[in-house]
Amino acid sequence: MLFNKKKRTEQPLPAKRREDMPNVREGLTFKQWKAKHAPTHKWRNKRWAVLLTLNTLFWASFAFDISVLEGSLSGSRFFGIYLMDLFNSLQQIFIRTRTGNFGMLTTNFFIGIGVIATFYFLAGGRTFCSWVCPYHFLAENAEKLHNWLVKKKKVKEHSYAVGVKYVAFAMFLLLAFFTKQLVFEDMNPVGIISRSIIYGPSLLLLWVLGLLLFEIFHTKRFWCRYVCPMGVTYSAIGKYSPTAIKFDLDKCGHCRDCQDVCLVPHELWFVKRGEATKEVHYAGADCTRCGLCVDTCYGGALKITVKGVDSLL
Amino acid sequence: MAKKEKDKELTRRQFLRFGIATAIGVGAVGAGITYLSTKDTTNGENMLRPPGAIANDDFMYACIKCGLCVQICPIDAIKLADVTQGLSYGTPYLNVREQACDFSCGAMQCVETCPTAALDFIQFKRVGEAANAKYEQEHPNDLDYNIIAVQLPAMHAQTHMGTAVLNTDTCLAAQGKGFKGAPRDANFKGVYASPEDAKKGLAPYPVNEHQFDRPICDICVTECPIGETAIIVENKIPKVLDGCTGCGVCAMICPTEGPSITIKKA
Repeated sequence: MLFNKKKRTEQPLPAKRREDMPNVREGLTFKQWKAKHAPTHKWRNKRWAVLLTLNTLFWASFAFDISVLEGSLSGSRFFGIYLMDLFNSLQQIFIRTRTGNFGMLTTNFFIGIGVIATFYFLAGGRTFCSWVCPYHFLAENAEKLHNWLVKKKKVKEHSYAVGVKYVAFAMFLLLAFFTKQLVFEDMNPVGIISRSIIYGPSLLLLWVLGLLLFEIFHTKRFWCRYVCPMGVTYSAIGKYSPTAIKFDLDKCGHCRDCQDVCLVPHELWFVKRGEATKEVHYAGADCTRCGLCVDTCYGGALKITVKGVDSLL
Repeated sequence: MAKKEKDKELTRRQFLRFGIATAIGVGAVGAGITYLSTKDTTNGENMLRPPGAIANDDFMYACIKCGLCVQICPIDAIKLADVTQGLSYGTPYLNVREQACDFSCGAMQCVETCPTAALDFIQFKRVGEAANAKYEQEHPNDLDYNIIAVQLPAMHAQTHMGTAVLNTDTCLAAQGKGFKGAPRDANFKGVYASPEDAKKGLAPYPVNEHQFDRPICDICVTECPIGETAIIVENKIPKVLDGCTGCGVCAMICPTEGPSITIKKA
């Protein structure tokens, strides 16, 4: 994974014959088949609705003084139940093991961690990114501009090893430990945007704008893919989550359009012809469950499922 | 383009290169930010941390910048600092000249709401319980007493955001002058409830609606929510005592153009 290449412990299944692919099976050419199944925006619309509603609720709770979702994305209270951001909490615990005043932390702090960890384990870890994070929303739209510029050959595509985010994660934790500061929170676009929405715009929005411009003109989804330690924390939480993207080899036409729209295409490694080792695969921990691949899949090979209960639904 | 990009395998060497670049980048940026954000570039006057704030070194990591204290404050005294405020980004502060903490919420709500104990409620709980125990010892027959009413003054006294400092050069009382009217101009938005108002159960109302007529100005003394342990009149001028909590009501209502009484940060 560190090197963008899945370590194979199992041998891949033999590549499907052309006749076995769904497009050919229906007696259509690939182009005809694709035209017949236009991509939808079903999951994206649902997701954007949730994301915008949550961020509006944060704003409205302060603006109109209603106790629904108080606080910001670094720590909040939902109808009185505390919710804590996990990477922030991890830094807290790290620094406090050094300074020793661990016992000062309130019960609400641990309740907040427990609620968030449980919820995102069930919902799939990086679900936070695509369903809640306001920066993801901006970056997702900036990505469209980037893709257009790449298509027009105005900018070149750049990509790095996805594993560098673990280096960034470790560095942020070490920095917190040695400087006794929540260093990441000073440059975290998620917190900056969230706070700007709720408490009024900050000058640091310029930094967020700079990041977006870098993503548009240089590296696609730079922050989310290669840096954000919040994403790393949530992906660790959701690694064994029951909610996942399920891949059905039988329905796949290997067009790989899903990888083009995906934030973390390395998690969809099995869609390449001759790579899949099983009939059914689940996308890995970095998957944000955003549903873009599901929306774009012509043959319905990708589905959001809850393991164990999907047969009941 | 896409197919080629997707299939690009990144080697171990490339990972090392990117990894080292990331480590250096994060390290440099982080160190710079740490240096900038620990520096308090305010002059230490009237810009205070909320009640119960722990020592600044600990406060810097304990505060996760969630803003729950900002949201719960009924008089909007607490704000979150932007990078231009001279305080670390996103941390809460009070500018007491604009809006002081008049303790009118009655429960140290901002302290109690803080999940990471950057505003530490344990100290208030302790003095509150001690006050109750003391009251019970002194009044063994009064078992139906109002626990909160006994706790609160002790909790308020435990607060130490700063200390008031009087500037005798500009103070009206020091010049033997009186004061008549409202202490601040008509556009001023600050609110508070005086000790008298609080006894009557009044909610905080605008500073402009508080009218005074004093032969010798002493409004900082009469309006102090803590009372005679914090500030008294001595030799006809106000004198700040050890009991001052730095709540800033005096700094907010001081009628002189530049306030004659300011709060020095603890």
